[in-house]
Amino acid sequence: MRKGSYQTHNSDDLTVLQMRPASQVMQLERLGSFHQSRLSFMRTLVRRMVAENWQISSSVFDLDEHGYGTVVYQVEAKYGTFSYVLFSHHLDPENRNDRVIADQWDLTMALCEGTVDTEQLDFLRNNVPKQEAGRVDSRVLVLSRANRSARTFEYVVNELAHGHQPNVDLIAEVGYLYRTTAAYGSGKLGMADWEKVWTKHRDFARPFAAEMFTCYMLRHFSMQQADYLASQRAPKSAVVLHEDIKRYIGIGNSTGLGMAPFLINHPLLINQWIEMRETALATVVDASAAGVDEATLARLDTATQRVIQHLSEIVTADERQSNANVLLREELQLLHLWLQEQGAVLASSHHVWASLIQYAEQHWCIETQEVINTLLIELYPALVDGLEEHMWVDESHEVTPEMEVAELLEVIEDKYDWALAIDFSKCESMGAFWYRSEEKMEPRLGQTNIDMGIEKEMPLGIGRRVRECYDRIYDYNQDRPKQNVAHFIMHNPTYSGIVARIQTMAQSRYGDIRENLVHTDVMPIHLLRCKLSFFGVSKFDPRSRLWVRNTMFQGAPLISDFGKLLSDDWQFPVKPALKSG
Amino acid sequence: MKVSKNELTASLKKAFEALGFQPGDYYDAADMVVWLETHGFDGFDRLLAALAYLNTTAPIHADLVQEDAHNSVLDGRGTSVLLCGSEAVDLIRSQVIQGSSAGLEIINCYNRTFIIERLVKAARRNFAFIAYWRQLDYCVKVSITAVSELPEYQTFKMIDVFDRQSLRIFCGPDLEAIEKQYGEQLEFGTLVENYPKAKMADCYRNSVEQGIEIDQALWKTLDDLVAKILVESTADSRAGAGD
Repeated sequence: MRKGSYQTHNSDDLTVLQMRPASQVMQLERLGSFHQSRLSFMRTLVRRMVAENWQISSSVFDLDEHGYGTVVYQVEAKYGTFSYVLFSHHLDPENRNDRVIADQWDLTMALCEGTVDTEQLDFLRNNVPKQEAGRVDSRVLVLSRANRSARTFEYVVNELAHGHQPNVDLIAEVGYLYRTTAAYGSGKLGMADWEKVWTKHRDFARPFAAEMFTCYMLRHFSMQQADYLASQRAPKSAVVLHEDIKRYIGIGNSTGLGMAPFLINHPLLINQWIEMRETALATVVDASAAGVDEATLARLDTATQRVIQHLSEIVTADERQSNANVLLREELQLLHLWLQEQGAVLASSHHVWASLIQYAEQHWCIETQEVINTLLIELYPALVDGLEEHMWVDESHEVTPEMEVAELLEVIEDKYDWALAIDFSKCESMGAFWYRSEEKMEPRLGQTNIDMGIEKEMPLGIGRRVRECYDRIYDYNQDRPKQNVAHFIMHNPTYSGIVARIQTMAQSRYGDIRENLVHTDVMPIHLLRCKLSFFGVSKFDPRSRLWVRNTMFQGAPLISDFGKLLSDDWQFPVKPALKSG
Repeated sequence: MKVSKNELTASLKKAFEALGFQPGDYYDAADMVVWLETHGFDGFDRLLAALAYLNTTAPIHADLVQEDAHNSVLDGRGTSVLLCGSEAVDLIRSQVIQGSSAGLEIINCYNRTFIIERLVKAARRNFAFIAYWRQLDYCVKVSITAVSELPEYQTFKMIDVFDRQSLRIFCGPDLEAIEKQYGEQLEFGTLVENYPKAKMADCYRNSVEQGIEIDQALWKTLDDLVAKILVESTADSRAGAGD
């Protein structure tokens, strides 16, 4: 197999794909320009729920006239029964805080296996509202919480109570009725381990599927609660939310630095996600080798125009993102014109997508390039959707002790050339450090020589650790040539962790994220956006380089759509064409 | 109280980090404790025994004091297998590649039962292992065939007096090759106890299904250790989280 090529995951199909190189894909700025794709976890979850016609109904709907109380949804998925338990609380507006350090919320929720009896419900009622301060058990898969939007929730309820539909422009500006501020799974706080979910609950046996479902159910509840409150306030005049508006309402999300260490501490998983996305891209590029039919070109054009409209409807105060969105729209407009003018010619051309990607790389910004890649993947569901079954990987870093030290040096020079290229003698190259705060162990970014805590630094500066390791190995190899890695570690045991990482990641296609994460000007927001794109969020609204607001499930089908034929075409949602109430 | 495997592993990693373990070491040490506890080997009791030592001294690794093509001796210098187990198994693995089977002894080391997890993990890479050590007046023998998930764990009466704090490990392509090469060092007395693999598997299944029972005092001990790697929160530090 030649370098830069890849065989598809299907062993019967020996097509050799042209994969983008790690040196291009693993640049942090590019990862931070990724958008939702068909392989994103929200998309795959929704496809599964709709196709399998999951049955979801409320077995308990015990809310008072203010919307406070308890709701239990029973979920009949394809392989099992689950309960989504939700507690709605009164919360003074001054106590509403989206930060991880908050200790009160409007809503707290738990996704549980099986049905929930009275005893378990009491147990959950005593613990779920406390979130991190409580304890649950292994019957719980996910714990989450949410806060109301001060701008939309009361407004929507009032409009509905008065018999009007809410103004879609305001919905577009905000995008949701509730914001989730955390969704914990994977065994935290006594919950079921991922291993249990993976082996026992096939319905959620994909990364973050249970967490995404919890957010999807929050979206469902948010609209059901709005309808309920409107009818409580004005039983005679109230109307229910229009279904098109409901589909356009998502769930708000704020993501901060807490997500960043995950990408560094799970490099094999991130590599797997990226490799599947890149395989999807390479597959669709390959599919255009013999030409593309006009219908496919027209679909790309339609999707492009929708992205342009979607971008025009995003409200962000972040200058960098705002400028990026403007540039993105301008460049996508050029793509639209190109498709309009060249469509017939393109249909008879070979390798159209490869040519488009090459043109975009030469002329347009990274964000435009990655939007185009996402749109191309969107065109070929039959070719790429199967990759969603390959988004998980066993994560174990292992030393290869028999490798000669000289070979390890070569591996580092080959796979970590980006790390060796960083000049760590410059102050700015080590101008930042990551640490855990005593406030809920929240990860934070400090400034070297200014902030305290560097002695407790988290080892996230992979580039710097590789550089230090390389220098140590180099000296060792000079002193003791022809030794193996086992001997190097015997004499330098503190390097065993980074050696295991280097040797493990060297066997992966994409390897580590190529960025000095302890540089003064590091942009953690790119890390957050990368992970969020795999979750499937939209409407990125950075609040600083450290955290970003976004919207989940906006445009997604409703529970009432389950079982219907779905085109699964809800990315880059746009305002529904309705008259305001 | 019950904790999940993932939660326990995360807490142990941070606790070992607080004790001065380096990345790599604290990953391995956490895995060793969790494996023993989830397979019925009293991992928590053994952890408490280890903490009595680890709390009082900076992390110490073993020294390689003797080596030929197939045999090595490490001086554990009184350290825990939580710290020297990985490097010992890596070393013996590297010697097997160069020849047929290999033997290694760590002298002056403690908490030797933790080595089981290292052997189980390395066996997945197509190596077989036999290890034994003295426990009071018995000899504990652990063996695992290549690519197996679970080991044989047996205790025998002593027939040969050897150092109380020594751990001997043999590694080869299969158990037969090891026994053929090191037969003289692999003679044991009367079998006293055999811990069935089925019990290990049941214990693990229960741990995953229902969580792991942990004494609240030990959980607090771990929490107290974890607190040592946390940084005080200030208005400035909140700015470093996006406030």
